[in-house]
Amino acid sequence: MSLRRGVMGGHHLVAAAAFLLLATPTTSAQSPTPGGMPPPPGMSMATSAAMRFPQPVRVGDLLKRDVIQPVESQNFLGTVQQIVRNPDGTLAAIINLGGFLGFGSRPVSVPLDALVLLGQVVEVDAFTPAQLRQLPTYSPGTAAPLSPGAIIKIGLAKPSH
Amino acid sequence: MNSLFRPRKRPDAAILDDHRPLLRSLERRGLIRGGLSLGALTMLTGCDVSRPKSVEDALLAISRMNDDVQAWLFDPNKLAPTYPASMVLKPPKFNAYYDVMDVKPVNGVDWRLELSGLIADKRPWTLPQINALPQRTEVIKHICVEGWDYIGEWTGVPLRTFLERVGADLHAKYVAFKTADDYPSSIDMPSALHPQTLLATQYAGDTLADPFGYPLRLRTSIKLGYKNPKWITAIEVTNTYLGGYWEKQGFPWFAGI
Amino acid sequence: MHWTNAVAMLVMITSGWGIYDDDVIIRGLIFPGYLRLGDWAAWSLNWHFAGMWLLAINGLCYLIYGVLTGRLRERLLPIRLHDVIQTVRDTLRLKIEHNDLTTYNAVQKLLYIVVILAGISQVVTGLAIWKPVQFSGLVSLLGGFQGARDIHFAGMAVIVGFLVVHVMLSLLVPRTLWAMLTGGPRVGPSGHGAPEEMR
Repeated sequence: MSLRRGVMGGHHLVAAAAFLLLATPTTSAQSPTPGGMPPPPGMSMATSAAMRFPQPVRVGDLLKRDVIQPVESQNFLGTVQQIVRNPDGTLAAIINLGGFLGFGSRPVSVPLDALVLLGQVVEVDAFTPAQLRQLPTYSPGTAAPLSPGAIIKIGLAKPSH
Repeated sequence: MNSLFRPRKRPDAAILDDHRPLLRSLERRGLIRGGLSLGALTMLTGCDVSRPKSVEDALLAISRMNDDVQAWLFDPNKLAPTYPASMVLKPPKFNAYYDVMDVKPVNGVDWRLELSGLIADKRPWTLPQINALPQRTEVIKHICVEGWDYIGEWTGVPLRTFLERVGADLHAKYVAFKTADDYPSSIDMPSALHPQTLLATQYAGDTLADPFGYPLRLRTSIKLGYKNPKWITAIEVTNTYLGGYWEKQGFPWFAGI
Repeated sequence: MHWTNAVAMLVMITSGWGIYDDDVIIRGLIFPGYLRLGDWAAWSLNWHFAGMWLLAINGLCYLIYGVLTGRLRERLLPIRLHDVIQTVRDTLRLKIEHNDLTTYNAVQKLLYIVVILAGISQVVTGLAIWKPVQFSGLVSLLGGFQGARDIHFAGMAVIVGFLVVHVMLSLLVPRTLWAMLTGGPRVGPSGHGAPEEMR
């Protein structure tokens, strides 16, 4: 192999590499309705949740599940600590918000209608992370925890893309 | 020893001499300059140029070649691992090319399974007729092309049993599906005849729920999730390649796991 | 061979990032569009499944060549801990001049062995991810489907780390770039050492 051909080959290959690296972030042919969208303006959380084909799920299966943001990067929000029934009869999830490896998290009460199931995780689609952080810290005893064997219904979402 | 790729003639030594003073100055400042060069390279990826058709065609041709490799690798007798019922995810994970609010439930009473193509008995099937066929339960892993998976339990008539019952040509190449949500799909016959491939009507012992394909969905153990159409309305046995919804968008067709 | 490998690795890494984004492994970590090869998942996959042939065939040729000719054994072994520590000290003091490009210092040897092993690991874990049922035995050894994905991701991180160091150092010692383009100085009869006189 001659010297010249070696140099030319090297240059061509580098140029080819540069060309191949030209990614095209044009339209991604994703779905008409991206997963985990919040309720449309004017629609109540309850109505929106009801449109998501709520499925029965065992309370015990929800405990300790990760809660994530419905975005492609699946940002971690917290973990499910408990499912409770409020004095007014509505259901809520007590979520340990934030923290790292279990330290520094804060429990907040999130209405069940604000949540969706995505496989093995839970997503909050009705509140932004900023809104979640503004929720008051939940004090135990103000609502009755459901037993692990109880079955509740939660709406579904497709993966966020 | 000599590399085959070394030039026989040694490069002109003068070229190396040029580098010596450069080398000394670069040793300290080179770090920054090197960083800039790296940055320049990454900038190239940000260029907004349409994907050239020739590149696209080449990639699709390689994808088709990979389909042949996958068909060669596929062992029709190898069963996918199964799992204990305690590991089944309830409810399973939902996915479609649209979000769940747009699911259009099918009326199971009015529903008929239409048949066409290389099938001897093309009479449509009702749901009770399907449910009367021999059933099999599989607890297997659903693996999505996106990268996630879950363990699920499906019950239904093995597709092989159904195809034999309707006198389908089992030497045909493809089994194709039409669905209520305009999601055409097709698979190769060897995968259709695999023992774990079901026409599923139940999940975790209960009738399939609306979001998960009621009344009938395909459940394979040896293909990626997108090859398992839900809300099936028609089955065709054919030697014509019919592709599928995601295949039109560039995804591989064989999609075997 | 080196540049074919460089192209193949870059294709695999950047298309791999596109595939990763479809279901992230580390929550909150996502690769931005301009770093991904393939404008969305379908095309990242197509690039990945095309590049894998280039990487595997070129890599196999490199390994077979290196083993059969003894080049790998000669260049990469032996590695003594004392040499490694000494080389790290030299490098941190930016004493990185290479008088003889055909001899690798201890840190170089270590890094090249690591990247070769990482490359092999990527192929093995890649096969497990691609065919989790057909290669189900392999998948169990890797800790399941998600385990194989995790190891595949970690291998990518190791290779990217190597690339950053490799590119940085080769830019700091431009003679190595020239050697990579032309095959390096002619080697003396001892196998390495001072180049011979030109004929």
